[in-house]
Amino acid sequence: MAKEITVALAGNPNSGKTTVFNNLTKARQHVGNWPGVTVEKKVGSCSHDGYNISVVDLPGVYSLTAYSLDEVIARDFIVDEKPDVVVDIVDASNLERNLYLAVQLLEMGVKLIIALNMMDMAESRKYQIDVKEMSRLIGVPVVPLVANRNKGTSELLQTMVDVAEGKVEVLGLRLDYGREVERELAKLEQIINGNPLARRYSPRWLAIKLLEEDEEIIKKFKEVKGGQRTSATR
Amino acid sequence: MDNEQVLPDEPGDKSLSRAWQESLSHLKSVYRDEAETIVADARYGFISGLMHDVLKKPAIERLMLSDKIDRVVLNRWLGIPLFLAILYGVFQFTFVLSGPFMDWIDEGFGWLAGPAAGISPAWFGSLIADGIIGGVGAVLVFVPVIFLLFIALSILEDSGYLARAAFVMDRLMHRIGLHGRSFVPMMLGFGCNVPAIMATRTIENPKDRLVTILVNPMMSCGARLPVYVLFAAAFFTAYQGLVVFSMYAMGIVLAILLAWLFRKRLVRGESGHFVMELPPYRLPTITGVVIHMWERGRVFLIRAGTIIFSIVVLVWLLNYVGALEPIGRAIAPIFSSAGFGQWQAAVTLIFGILAKEVVVGTFGVLFTGVEELGGLGSVIGFELGWTPLIAFAFMAMSLIYVPCMAVIAIVKRETNSWRWTGFVIGYTLVLGWIVATLIYQIGRLFT
Repeated sequence: MAKEITVALAGNPNSGKTTVFNNLTKARQHVGNWPGVTVEKKVGSCSHDGYNISVVDLPGVYSLTAYSLDEVIARDFIVDEKPDVVVDIVDASNLERNLYLAVQLLEMGVKLIIALNMMDMAESRKYQIDVKEMSRLIGVPVVPLVANRNKGTSELLQTMVDVAEGKVEVLGLRLDYGREVERELAKLEQIINGNPLARRYSPRWLAIKLLEEDEEIIKKFKEVKGGQRTSATR
Repeated sequence: MDNEQVLPDEPGDKSLSRAWQESLSHLKSVYRDEAETIVADARYGFISGLMHDVLKKPAIERLMLSDKIDRVVLNRWLGIPLFLAILYGVFQFTFVLSGPFMDWIDEGFGWLAGPAAGISPAWFGSLIADGIIGGVGAVLVFVPVIFLLFIALSILEDSGYLARAAFVMDRLMHRIGLHGRSFVPMMLGFGCNVPAIMATRTIENPKDRLVTILVNPMMSCGARLPVYVLFAAAFFTAYQGLVVFSMYAMGIVLAILLAWLFRKRLVRGESGHFVMELPPYRLPTITGVVIHMWERGRVFLIRAGTIIFSIVVLVWLLNYVGALEPIGRAIAPIFSSAGFGQWQAAVTLIFGILAKEVVVGTFGVLFTGVEELGGLGSVIGFELGWTPLIAFAFMAMSLIYVPCMAVIAIVKRETNSWRWTGFVIGYTLVLGWIVATLIYQIGRLFT
């Protein structure tokens, strides 16, 4: 019996995410809707190294705030479904802007792989990217790709399996927001530790989201309040 | 925003809503910007730092103003000289502006000391005039320098330059096998070594962290500033800024050399890898600068009224009963090789271990009858026969030898080891003696 893993593909619009998805899953795809909304949800599957890999194509987003439906869908899937691996498809020729999403994924503490797509474009612009150093500094595997020529796909598959098996360590990183913000985060975290939400989400992440005045998270805190009331009256 | 009071008010976390609002408004008053923006800036800062490490672009493409400034500030050759130049500028600024304030405080104390000395009984008059006004006053005179230095440091921090300085030093430190995350806590040491040592908790690699703690006392804190200013003003009139700057620079150089040595000999092993954040430049807000200045500076006012006050009274008492001189005479010969082998200097150094401002306070008590405290440095020089060279050696000693009690306590807490704590006390004492002796002996060849 093959082992099952779920992989979520995240990435900015125009990062070549759909091409990567097609390369990975070929014809084994089906299209549905995300629960409750009419946004298209594409799920595919493939097998590699004794694994059945189910690949979920998240909506293309620049960020993981609560400002757009796409962002909320992507975030909820990662938080609620807890995929084994998240692959962030990054446009290597536009690295700086694309990495903003990666940083936010790291904040969530997911098992992240960064797929550096469009390496050919970056090279033609004479960008030199030190992939090894990047992987070491961010603490996650970084896989170079040229998706529209189907280069790097099998390396990506292998990395997914390695990460899922724990063969490749995903250390991740704890971003330092500066003295002032860190101090406020520490205060909030301490209070959040006692909240039921802390069982499902990392308190630090919740604290960051509160500082960002994230509507969805504020709503979640309100719901917890309601839930606790009813259990208290019982 | 209608976010007021929307958070849970349950037992256990009833303070969340309030704490949240407080955090938001605190950050807003410090940065004059939404917390959301500050958080996003931190992310971009991380990415920007990462890009400097892993991405090489053709030169034509870098266009943003912040990038343009960084090209100069982070330049391989210009970066460190520029950092030193800015530091030097900070001390010049501090001295020029603090001069008049110090004179006023000085005159104020001089005006108080006269009548106070006449109070009877005589011992009480002496306690007030020589002990409290002479000792605590000698320290309080330097409050304007400390506060102005902290204003300058806050401006550097809030504008985003301090992060650049750390980035530049990171490159240097990488070359000698360390990493630059250590430099941030080290620069916090300019304020006070205690919070700086606590800030080493952000360093994940335990060996890097240990070394950063061990060398942190070399970073010259605000409490040592009065010692420098006292002697710089008396002996190096035209070059005060330069002389005080040289103390801070000496501290940085020693810290880096020691870190390198410790990493080679004592705490071997791989160094951690980090991205140095490069937050975007921003114009410091007055509120932010004032808050940060006050956070750092209030400690000194509190200390002057509590610890310094008590120690100075103790010193006065010991002096009044004639117990100080024998203690000083027993120790003093050790320092004759550095030029300051007088019992008074030895006494100040002993009590300076309790808190470094006390070095100045003790001088204030010992050299009583000084009408104006501003003249204290000159009086010391005259009474002890000090030359500028001896004063300089003494300043170096004050910088390096045993950190104060508070720092010793925090080193013990953070390393959780008496061995390392003892090591810090031991190496600083020996190193201080060696450096002071070298300065005096080598300097003598040229004068």
